[in-house]
Amino acid sequence: MRQWLVALGIVLVVVTLTPSFWKKLERFDTGPDYRIPYDLSKDYWLYERRLARVASTNIVMLGDSVVWGEYVMADGTWTHFLNREAGVGNKFINAGVNGLFPLALEGLVRFYGRPLSHRKVILHCNVLWMTSPKADLSTDREESFNHAALVPQFSPRIPCYKADASDRLNAIVERNVPFIEWVSHLQNAYFGQQSIPKWTLVEAGGDPPLYPNVYRNPLSEIKMTVPSEPANDPQRGPLSSRHKPWSTNTTGTTQFEWVALDQSLQWRAFQRVIEVLRERDNDVLVVLGPFNEHLMAEQNRPAYRKMHNEIVAWLAKNQIPHVAPELLPSTLYADASHPLTEGYQLLAKRLYHDSVFQKWMSTK
Amino acid sequence: MLFHTWPFLVFMLIVLPGFYALRKTRLWLPWLTAASYFFYGWWNPYYLLLVVYSTLLDFCLVALMDHCPRAGQKTDVFARLTRLRFDDRLLKFAFVVSAIATLGCVVMALFGLQTLRPTMWVLGLILLLMTLGALYSSRRIWLLISLVNNLALLLFFKYARFVAENLNALFESLHWSVNLSDPSTLMPFGFEYLLPVGISFFTFQSLSYTIDFYLGNVQRERNFVRFATFVCFFPQLMAGPIERAKHLLPQFHRFPPVRLQNFTDGASLFLVGLFKKLALANYLSFYVERVYDNPKLFDAPALMLATFAFAWQIFFDFSGYTDMARGVAKLMGFDLILNFNNPYMATGLGDFWSRWHIGLSSWFRDYVYIPLGGSRGGMLRTYRNLFITFFISGIWHGANWTFVIWGTLHAAGIMITRELERSVFYRERVPRLAKQVAVFVFVCFAWIFFRANSLGDALLIVTRIFTAAWHDPQMPVLMLVLVALIWLYQFCYESRFRVILQSGLVRTGAAVFMILYLCLCASGGGAFIYFQF
Repeated sequence: MRQWLVALGIVLVVVTLTPSFWKKLERFDTGPDYRIPYDLSKDYWLYERRLARVASTNIVMLGDSVVWGEYVMADGTWTHFLNREAGVGNKFINAGVNGLFPLALEGLVRFYGRPLSHRKVILHCNVLWMTSPKADLSTDREESFNHAALVPQFSPRIPCYKADASDRLNAIVERNVPFIEWVSHLQNAYFGQQSIPKWTLVEAGGDPPLYPNVYRNPLSEIKMTVPSEPANDPQRGPLSSRHKPWSTNTTGTTQFEWVALDQSLQWRAFQRVIEVLRERDNDVLVVLGPFNEHLMAEQNRPAYRKMHNEIVAWLAKNQIPHVAPELLPSTLYADASHPLTEGYQLLAKRLYHDSVFQKWMSTK
Repeated sequence: MLFHTWPFLVFMLIVLPGFYALRKTRLWLPWLTAASYFFYGWWNPYYLLLVVYSTLLDFCLVALMDHCPRAGQKTDVFARLTRLRFDDRLLKFAFVVSAIATLGCVVMALFGLQTLRPTMWVLGLILLLMTLGALYSSRRIWLLISLVNNLALLLFFKYARFVAENLNALFESLHWSVNLSDPSTLMPFGFEYLLPVGISFFTFQSLSYTIDFYLGNVQRERNFVRFATFVCFFPQLMAGPIERAKHLLPQFHRFPPVRLQNFTDGASLFLVGLFKKLALANYLSFYVERVYDNPKLFDAPALMLATFAFAWQIFFDFSGYTDMARGVAKLMGFDLILNFNNPYMATGLGDFWSRWHIGLSSWFRDYVYIPLGGSRGGMLRTYRNLFITFFISGIWHGANWTFVIWGTLHAAGIMITRELERSVFYRERVPRLAKQVAVFVFVCFAWIFFRANSLGDALLIVTRIFTAAWHDPQMPVLMLVLVALIWLYQFCYESRFRVILQSGLVRTGAAVFMILYLCLCASGGGAFIYFQF
C-alpha cells in the first residue's frame, strides 16, 4: 500500500506541475499578427496559452478560417488590416482557428476560452455552416469532421456524429485534464500530430518506403520552442496558386440547401457561444459575413436573405451589437466565404469605419 | 467493452461500489451476474441470448445428470415409453417436456416461419437427444448433449463458413454440382452472422463443468445465478483465463473476503496489463501490420523482426488482457488462475505450453489429451495423442489452414523436444540459455503461420526469410529497447536477481514509469487479438 501511495504521489506531482512548468520553459513567440499555425489547429492547450497572453486592452476576434485567413499570410488577415486601420501594432488579436464551425467554437470558448473573460470580443458569424444539412451536421448519415473533440459529446445530440462512447468520454477527459492536453500539445507541436510511437513509424513515401524516424531519438525532437508559421507558405499568400478569385476555378453558381435557423444546430451553438461569452462578462460584437453572394444561384438568394435578416433581427432583439458588412466585389473572394488579401483590407476598412463598430469600440 | 476504455472505467465505478454495498445481502451475486450480462451485451445484445442459452442448457443437463444412476442400473424403456413409468419425477418431467418440445420444433421446422426453420431443426435435434437422455436415464447422453450443443455453437459460428468454402472448392474440383450455402443464410430474422466475442472461452468453461461433473470431479451447482456468474463472470468472459468449476465456483458461494491487499494487488495487475496492451502490444502491432500486410515488399531482416515483434505483441496483448482480468477480479476479492508464466523463458516446448495460455492448454490436456490415453500406451500412441490435441488446439484458434499448421508445428516441436530430452547430453550439457533461445526461435517460426493473412503469405514469408536480400529492416529503436527491457526483466525474474525486482524501490519506480509512459506514449485503443478466437 505504501508503495502505491508513493507512486501515486510522485505521479500526481508530475502530472499537476508539468503543464505549468512547461509554460515557463517552452518558448512561445506571439508577435504582431500572430495566429495559431495551421498544423497546430487542434492544439487547444496552446490556444488557451495564447489567449492567456492577450492584454486586457486587446480586442480578440473569434471565428473560423475566415478570421484565421485561409488563403492569406499572417500579414494579410482581417485583424492585420484592422490593426493598420487603428494605427496600432497589436490591438486586434487573431484568435481564429481553421475549420472551427460554431459547434466546435462553442467547445473551444467553453473549455479553453476562460482567459478571454472581461474582454472585448469580435465574434464572426459565417453562414457557410448553414448552407446544407451536411455543413450543419444535422444529417443522420455519419460524417467525419474537424475538431470532433470540441463538439458536445452527448447533449445536445449531433446526429451525424457517430463516435462510440469510448471516444466521446476520451474527448471529455482530455478537455478536463491539463496533463493530457499538454501531452496532446507535445504531439501536435513536435511529433506531427501523432503519438510518439506512431511518429517513430511515419512513412516518407518512396519505393521501397522510407521511415525517417525509426532511428531518431524522440526526446531530441522536443525543441522547447513552439513551432511558428512558415515564413513562405506555398499554400497561402498572394504568391500561392490558391490565392485567386473563386470565379477562376468555378463556372456557374451554386445552389445551397439552406437550413432553417430554428432547425440549425450550428446556429443554436452560435447563440450559446454568445451566451457563454456574456456570462463571462465579455463585450461581444458580432460580424455577420459577408458571404459570397456572387457565387449563389439567383433563385437561392431569397432564402439566404431571409436567413440573414432573421440573424440580424435576433441580434437586435437581444441587444447584441452587430455589423453586417457590405458584400465585397466578386474578385475579392477566394470561395464562398473567404476573402483574398485585398478583400480583407477592404473589409477591415469598412468594419473599422462602421458607426456601430466605432461606438462599440469607444465603450468601456 | 474493452478494459482500456473509459466506458469500462464508468462501468467499474458503478459495479464495484454496488458490489460492496450489497455485501451483506444475497443480492451481490445477482448484481455480479447482471453486470456480467451487461458487459457482454454492450458488444452485441442479441448474442447475449447465446450465453444465456448455453448456461441454461448446461445447468439443466447437469441437474438431469444428477438424477441419473451412476452406472449399471437397468431401465425399463418399454414401460417408460408406454406407461410413463419413471423412477424419478424430474426425468419423467424432462421426458414429457422434451418429447412435446421436439414435436413442436419439428412442426415449426416443417411449417413455421422460413427464417426460423434451420434453428428449429437444430433445436429439435437437441431436444430429441434430451428425450432419449430422459428415456434411458443416461448420464452419458446428457454429457453428449452438452458436448453437441456447445461444440455445435462453436462450429457454426466459427467454422461453418470455412467448412462450406472448403467443401464447395472440393465439390467444384470433383465437378459435382453441389453448392453449400453460406451459413449466414441460416441465421434467424436476418441477424448478422458474426463470431460472438469470447464464444470459445465461455463454451469451454461451461463444458468443463459438465465434463467435470460427469467425471465426478465437482459437485452439482444448484443455484442457477451462481452457475450463470461462473460462466459469464465479466473479467474473464471475453478472453479467459478459462476457469474450472472447481476453482471458481466455490468463490461465488459467499461474499469474498476483501482486504486492502486486494486493491493494491488488483491495481498492480491492472496497471501491468494496461501497460502491456497500450504501450507495448499496440505499438508492436504497427510494425507487424506494416510488414505482414505486404510481405512481398519486405526483405529477410524486416520479416524476421516483424515475426519477432509479433511474438511479443501477442504475448503482451493476451497476457495483458489476462493481467487486467485478474486485476479486476482481485478488486472484487476473486482469484483467477495465472494464464502466462514467462513463456519465452521456456526450455522446451512442453515447458512452453505449461507457461503459455495455461487455462486452455490445461483444458486440452485434461479433456482431450488424457481421455485419448495421454502418454499411456507407448511412444506412438503418445505422439498420436499429442498430434490430435495440438491439431484441435490449432483449429480452436480459428477456421484457417494457417492455424492448423501452427498447431501441427507445435505438435511436431513437442515430439522433437521430448525425444531430445531423453538424451543425457541434451538434458545436462546443453546450456539453459541455448535451449531457451532454440524454443523461442521455434515458437517464432510457428507464429509466422499464426499471424500470416493466408497460407500463401505464410509460405512467402518463410521463403523470403531464407532467400531475400538483407536490407535495413527499419524497425524503430524505441520498440527494440522496450522489448529488450522486458526480456531482461523476465531473465532477471527467473534468476537469483528476482529479489531486486521485488524490492519496494523498483516496484514503485516501475509503477511511476508505467503510468507516465502510458500518459505520454500510449498507442491508442484497439481490441485484443484473442477476442477473435
